[in-house]
Amino acid sequence: MNTPTAAISLESVTKRFGAKTIIHDISFSVAKGEIVGFLGPNGAGKTTTMRMIAGFTTPSTGRITVAGCDMATQNEEAAEKIGYLPEHPPLYDTLDVSQYLRFVARAKGVPRNEFKSELDRVATACRLENVLNREIYKLSKGYRQRVGLAQALLGKPEVLLLDEPTAGLDPGQIQETREVIRSFGEQHAVLLSTHVLPEVTLICSRVAIINQGRLLAIDSPVSLRRASELTNRILLTANAPADALRAELLCVAGVIAVTAHPVPGVDGMLNVECQTDAREGIEAAVARAVARRWDLHRLERQQPTLENIFLRYVSGSSPQETHQ
Amino acid sequence: MSGMLAVYRKEMLTYFRSPIAYFVVAVFLVGTGYFFTYNMFLTGSASMDETFRNMAILILTLLPLVSMRLFSGEYSGRTMELLMTLPLKTWEVVLGKFLGAATILLLMTLGTFIDLVPLYLFGNPHTTTIFAGYIGFILLGMACLAVGQFFSALTQNQIVAALITVPVLLSFWFIGHLQNFQVSQTLRGLFAYLSFALHYADFVQGLLRSEGVLFYLVASAIALTLNAGYLQWRR
Repeated sequence: MNTPTAAISLESVTKRFGAKTIIHDISFSVAKGEIVGFLGPNGAGKTTTMRMIAGFTTPSTGRITVAGCDMATQNEEAAEKIGYLPEHPPLYDTLDVSQYLRFVARAKGVPRNEFKSELDRVATACRLENVLNREIYKLSKGYRQRVGLAQALLGKPEVLLLDEPTAGLDPGQIQETREVIRSFGEQHAVLLSTHVLPEVTLICSRVAIINQGRLLAIDSPVSLRRASELTNRILLTANAPADALRAELLCVAGVIAVTAHPVPGVDGMLNVECQTDAREGIEAAVARAVARRWDLHRLERQQPTLENIFLRYVSGSSPQETHQ
Repeated sequence: MSGMLAVYRKEMLTYFRSPIAYFVVAVFLVGTGYFFTYNMFLTGSASMDETFRNMAILILTLLPLVSMRLFSGEYSGRTMELLMTLPLKTWEVVLGKFLGAATILLLMTLGTFIDLVPLYLFGNPHTTTIFAGYIGFILLGMACLAVGQFFSALTQNQIVAALITVPVLLSFWFIGHLQNFQVSQTLRGLFAYLSFALHYADFVQGLLRSEGVLFYLVASAIALTLNAGYLQWRR
């Protein structure tokens, strides 16, 4: 899976702090022109993985290459090709925005004659024109985040690593930031971590799900959704005796399991959850089966959203392996 | 090289946007002015000897305030992650920061030149002695900054960094006194050699010896190398 053209590639990367293993044997790669979402709950190991790719920490075992450079031996060459926005935007509070961006541009070795155009480019992309001369400590959280993003974009890096780039932004700013990332991702490789699911579906071509330091799946949002359709669910509310209803539902073709709970406060009412397979029209068959003998109050075929998939992977109840 | 300059410029901007640099320079100049006037009236001789000794004690306690934020501030401001992932070599970061702090030291030194005005107006001082004294002062200051910078890299609390640096510097200053308690010649020699004060005394007396110059330069280099090595190890 690790092609030589991959902009980022991790091969069985493990990170231990003392006796504690934070990252367990993670391998994946990100190609040029691809935006990969790194999805996981807080404390899953997203930031640690990002830090290892950025070269801030080194993996205990395994190999990381970024833009063709081995991070273990060619750290400095690689650093020139990486734009990195850490979880907390690394800002010097006492400097003003343009001084700060100028420092980063200098450190990244942006040529003198491109200085002004580079600063203008990132300032426009991140909508910072109005705050360029303001001290950073006076900026709101949204602006701070955007200054951090601008810093990462400076010098047109081949690889962009963004650790929760939209944290702290309002909905309008989130939209703008996504546009920036999307347009940047057309020619570069972007790895962005997030725990906001819609973000992943909107801009990422692939999603890597990580939990407790293990990579659970990596695939396109569409394939992940399809994979989870094997374990579809139908939720219904009916006025019926539990045992009889369960027996009736299990007779319907495609229903795998049924759980029923009484609705609190309403006598004889049941909330029922059916595990089903993915066949078409199964909700209609279930509805017919229930309505034939009892009152059906509500029926809903639950759409397999990325949220469900994510939770399923994270809670470890996923029965199926996804293809890589 | 350009990376070091970028760090240096950033350091200078940061110094002058925080009150600490102004505070340290002001306290130092007030202190030096006081000691200078006091020594002049006390001895009635046109020399800087005593004042140089007092200046040394002053910077031993004041320079840790200049160096304490160098890395501690980067840790607590969470900017270390940026500094270590930018295409900067570790030595560029370490030297850029050191030169920034050394510039503050240089400004402090320049400020004391005002004391030379009455000295030359009303007296007939030894220019070469004063020159050697200033060289010694700057070299001593550089060694103090390098030590302070190293301790700053060890903690994310600036106050802790300063609180470790001051006693360490004072120990190096006073370690020369220990030689009187030693029977062994080797130990006597060692304590004398390690003493910041004894080397400094040579400069104050007008002796510009390569041994003294090398001592401070090597002391700075050791501290800066430890600093860079620690940062590298921390990755």
